[in-house]
Amino acid sequence: MSPADSAAVSLPDKPEATVENDWKRVHPASPFVRGWVALAAVGFFFGRDAFERMLQGRDFLDPNLNGRVPWLLAGGAVVLLLTVGGFILSWYFTRYQVAGGYVRVNTGFLFKQQRQARLDRVQAIDIVQPLLARIFGLAELKFEVADAGESAVRLAYLPLDQAKQLRATILARAAGVVIESGTTEEIPEAPEHVVLSVPPARLIGSLLLSEQTIGILIGAAVVIATSVIFENNAIFLALIPGILGIGAAYWSSFNKGYNFTAAISPDGIRLRYGLLDTQAQTVPPGRIQALMVTQPPIWRIFGWYRMHVNVAGYGVSASSEGAARTMLLPVGLKSDVMRMMSLVLPDPGIEDPERVFTAGLDGLAPAGPESAPNDGFITTPRRARLLAPLGRRRNGFFATRTALLIRSGRWWHTLVLVPHQRTQSMALHQGPLARRFGVADLVLHTTAGPVSPRVFQAGVEQAVELFDQQAARAREARKRQTSEQWLAQVAPQAPEVAAAARPKDGSLPEEPAPLERPEQPQTSPQQEDRHDG
Amino acid sequence: MRTEAIDPPGVQWLRVSPKYVTVRLVEWAIGNVLMLAVLSLPLIFVLLGWWRWPPLWLAITVPAVMLVLALWRLVLIPRQVRAIGYAERNDDLLIRRGIFFQRTMVVPYGRMQYVDVAVGPVERGLGLCTLKLHTASAGTNAHLPGLPAEEGARLREQLSARGEARLAGL
Repeated sequence: MSPADSAAVSLPDKPEATVENDWKRVHPASPFVRGWVALAAVGFFFGRDAFERMLQGRDFLDPNLNGRVPWLLAGGAVVLLLTVGGFILSWYFTRYQVAGGYVRVNTGFLFKQQRQARLDRVQAIDIVQPLLARIFGLAELKFEVADAGESAVRLAYLPLDQAKQLRATILARAAGVVIESGTTEEIPEAPEHVVLSVPPARLIGSLLLSEQTIGILIGAAVVIATSVIFENNAIFLALIPGILGIGAAYWSSFNKGYNFTAAISPDGIRLRYGLLDTQAQTVPPGRIQALMVTQPPIWRIFGWYRMHVNVAGYGVSASSEGAARTMLLPVGLKSDVMRMMSLVLPDPGIEDPERVFTAGLDGLAPAGPESAPNDGFITTPRRARLLAPLGRRRNGFFATRTALLIRSGRWWHTLVLVPHQRTQSMALHQGPLARRFGVADLVLHTTAGPVSPRVFQAGVEQAVELFDQQAARAREARKRQTSEQWLAQVAPQAPEVAAAARPKDGSLPEEPAPLERPEQPQTSPQQEDRHDG
Repeated sequence: MRTEAIDPPGVQWLRVSPKYVTVRLVEWAIGNVLMLAVLSLPLIFVLLGWWRWPPLWLAITVPAVMLVLALWRLVLIPRQVRAIGYAERNDDLLIRRGIFFQRTMVVPYGRMQYVDVAVGPVERGLGLCTLKLHTASAGTNAHLPGLPAEEGARLREQLSARGEARLAGL
């Protein structure tokens, strides 16, 4: 076996002179797991001919083969050798190292590439196990930094426990845990506390009642109607690829959402999901840039919601894998939503978060003329009721000490949450029609992702006031966030405020036990403060 | 220029150079004259009797409508340029633009990832430049066109310095 497997996994801090010794290799089987398609293609190419012969009832081998055997064999051997040789070379030249606050990866033998990423810039760490890798007990580690592109560092593949160990090491270093040089002691994995999981029945139900299904039903109705009108049944044949595609889409959603589990650990929020391919994401505290809770109309019958987040490294991706990564909760009840909210925003900055969040999820302003908003949300003024006849009572915003809540959508309930210190920039927009009605939109710019926060049609005075206040609040919040290392960040407020914030978490609804707090001190006493950043 | 309703109160806007109108005029000419020429071709062909279709009224209406729109945009250009403004505040930069569709944007110095200065051929001839601010968000579409070159350089240095002093993480 390679040195990577036998070496101790913890990476002690050594002086720069001996840094070369820390380079490790990924698992030797990884190129085969990654490149199995290429091997399969070679196999297919040579196997197809013989297979077709067998099907046609002829000899297994071509009778005219005798003259060509040496050439064929030689060709096959060369292709196979080249492929395997390439695999071995790529394995040999792929090395990684975690040292001195950086993770470095060297790849390539013709075109060499060295990549390094600062540990304290980590936005998220994922451990991905495609089916084949899972069979071999291997896992891929993805290290995300804020460039919204591909993963900064991908280590494919490591043995699963080694990948977990590496994740723990990286997260501990990123958090600012100081490791004394010379210690060979392994960094323990941060303990985690499972917060919620999605039962398969609810997942299937949510898929069957999703927007996708409605679209399909409408499409099917149209198809049946046309076939009846034109008395032509051939149209059904043309639908077969479409049906296969739809089935694949459902399968992919089910595969990605199956066994969805959210847990909290001192390292951040852990999300685990997947039926065949499993994925475990870790988003460190304070890395969530924006959060969105949505509820399609049909889901309201069951009280289901889904949640998406913007995380800087994840970016926007059209692929189902990318979409799954930005999913914080595929389907959940209001209590689940509240629990996830309390993880994302440990200090909601208000006295009764449950009431406010409920108002944000389902609230409507009273219909009467200019009556004061009863739930704290400032909604579109009544004078704009012609401009937004449906959304007027729903569009609204609410600023707590730590985050801005934006609700919208009369039918498609949407609640967006942006922590103040995550606001990048803001813009007020006003078109001619909006000016006529005295309203304006406020757009908050956040990193690329599925959430795009926008306050719709707020009254001009309120919008300008919010614009000004929000700039000030974001400034204040940024001052409190002094370090990228979440253990090193100074506490936001005086201790008594922080202490007062604690019981609030406990008062959130339907929590089975005091949340994750009692478990934290096991890792390190410093980590108590992790939520405060 | 008067302060619009959506501008934060008490902000003294700095205006971009009036010479920027020329840049916009050149852009307008390149875009619209070409478009108009292409759209007038059917009219010419119909008048010459080479084409039977489209009917004459249609061949006239399309370029005429385009011409009106183009002229309308031409008339707006000076006002649009006058509507572009920026203001440096203690902790952030304000940028406003637009007459019909107004936008007022605030970019905190601590959020700037980098500052670009771009100069096109026409701008170079007039001694102007365009300043672009980039944050971690792709939505921050903050560019300030039509700055005099030395003002652009000054702003870039100033913004970079202030950004460094107030740099925050993501």
